[in-house]
Amino acid sequence: MNGSPPSGTRREADLVGAFVQLADTLVDDYDVPEVLHQLATHCVNLLGVSAAGLLLSDQRGSLQVVASSNERTRLLELFQLQADEGPCVDSFRTGETVAVADLSTARGRWPVFTPQAVEQGFRAVHAVPLRLRGDLIGTLNLFNQHPGALSSDDVKVARALADIATIGILQERMIRHGEVLTEQLQGALNSRITIEQAKGLLAHAGGLDMEQAFQALRRFARARHTGLSDIAHRLASGELPPASVLRPGRGEAT
Amino acid sequence: MSVPESSEESLRRLWDAVVASIGDGSGGTEALALIGRACTRLLPIDGASISLVGGARAREALYAGDEVSDRIQRLQVSLGEGPSYEAYRTRRPVLVPDLAADPGARWPVFATEVAACPVGAVFAFPLQRGAIAIGALDLYRRDPGWLSSEEVTVALRVVDIATLALPALRMDSLDGEWVVGLPPERAQVHQATGMLISGLGVSAEQALARLRAHAFSVGRMVDEIADDLVSGRIVPTDIEL
Repeated sequence: MNGSPPSGTRREADLVGAFVQLADTLVDDYDVPEVLHQLATHCVNLLGVSAAGLLLSDQRGSLQVVASSNERTRLLELFQLQADEGPCVDSFRTGETVAVADLSTARGRWPVFTPQAVEQGFRAVHAVPLRLRGDLIGTLNLFNQHPGALSSDDVKVARALADIATIGILQERMIRHGEVLTEQLQGALNSRITIEQAKGLLAHAGGLDMEQAFQALRRFARARHTGLSDIAHRLASGELPPASVLRPGRGEAT
Repeated sequence: MSVPESSEESLRRLWDAVVASIGDGSGGTEALALIGRACTRLLPIDGASISLVGGARAREALYAGDEVSDRIQRLQVSLGEGPSYEAYRTRRPVLVPDLAADPGARWPVFATEVAACPVGAVFAFPLQRGAIAIGALDLYRRDPGWLSSEEVTVALRVVDIATLALPALRMDSLDGEWVVGLPPERAQVHQATGMLISGLGVSAEQALARLRAHAFSVGRMVDEIADDLVSGRIVPTDIEL
C-alpha cells in the first residue's frame, strides 16, 4: 500500500488511466461517495502515498470525512480529528496547500493531531484545498509512512485530483448559485452517514471489521452497477437484507 | 462560516426550549411551533412548515406557521409532488431561490398551483440522519433570493435541532428524557446505529433512539457507548431496554 510513485511511461499510462476512469464515472446519475472513494484510491496509487481522505465543509463551520482510501476506524478518526486541529483545517481556513515533510517537527503546531498520526505510522502529511472559485468546500488529505515532501509534479497531480473531486461533488449542474453547493454538500454528507450505518450493520451481521464491511458493500454495489449510497440506504432502511450482500447470489431478489 | 454569537445563543435557547417541550403533553405541537417560529425569527423568510413522515404520531405532528405555509404544505400533500417530496426522495435539500424562474419540470402541477400564492422562493430541507428519515422543514419567502452563508449555517443548525429532537415525538416505546444534549457527529455513532439495526432487529430510527436512551440511562456520552459497541466491548443485546 506504500511505495514510490510509478515512474516514466508507466506513470503516464497510470495517470491517463485514472483520469479516463474518473471521466467515465462522471456521467449520468453517478454516486458522489463512490467517485470520491475511487479518487482517494487513485491518490494512493498515483502519488505513492499510504492513505488519502476527502473532507468536506458541513457548512456549520466544521469539516466531515466523506471518503477514504481505507475504511479502518482509526484512520477515519485521524481524518476526522482534523475538523478541530491539523493540516486539513489549516488548509481549509487559509485556502493554501499545507505540506509537512517530517511530522516529527510538527508536534508544537498540532499537539493533538501529530502524536496520533505518528502513532499510526505516518511521517509526512499534505492537505490540498478543494476550491470552487472563491469558495473553499473541503480538503484532500494525504498521509505517507515515509518522510518527504511530494515532488512538484506530484503536487500538480494532487491539485488536478482535488479539482476533479470538486467537479465530482458539484456534478454537471450549473454552479452559479450557492444553493446548488448546499444541496450537493448536504446530500453527500448524508450519504456518508448512510454508508457508516450500513457498514455497522454489515459488520455486525457478518462478523466483519469496518474495512471488510465497506468492501463487501462496494463489491455488491459494483456487481449490480448501483451506487454505493443507494445500496447503503436500502440496507440501513431494511429494504435489503444483509445476507444478500454478505452472501450474494443466494436467492436475492434485487 | 461560524454562527454569530447572538445566533449561537438563540440556537442554544431553542434547543433547551424544544427539549423541555418534549413530553409536555402537547403531542409535539409546541416543539414544532418553537422550531417554526425560530426560523422566521432568525432567517429572512416569511414562513415555515414542518412535516413528519411515517411515525406513530406523525399525523398530528404537523406545523404551518402561516396561511401561505399551510397552503404550500397542503398542495404538496394533495398532489404528492413539490420541493418537500423531492427533498425527501433525493435525501438532500431542494432549494429554489426563484420559483418563477424554475422550469417546474420536477413538479409541474405544484408549480402551476403555487404560482397563485405570494411565494418567491422555497427552501425544503429533509430532516434525516443517513437512512433515518424524519420529515422535512419547508421555508418560503415572498421575494426571490438565496440566503447568505451565515444564514445557511443557521438554517442547517435549526435542521439539526429538529432532526435530533423530533424522533422523541415518534417513539411511543421510549420516554423523551434521552433528548438531553447535541451529540457529536462521529462515525462510530452511525456505525453503532447500524450494528443495533442488525443486532436488535429494529429500524434505524429506533436503533439511534435506543442508543441515546441507553447512554442517558447509564449516564454516559452517546459516542462512548458507540465506541464500546464498535470495538466489541459490549454487544447490541446489552443495549436492550
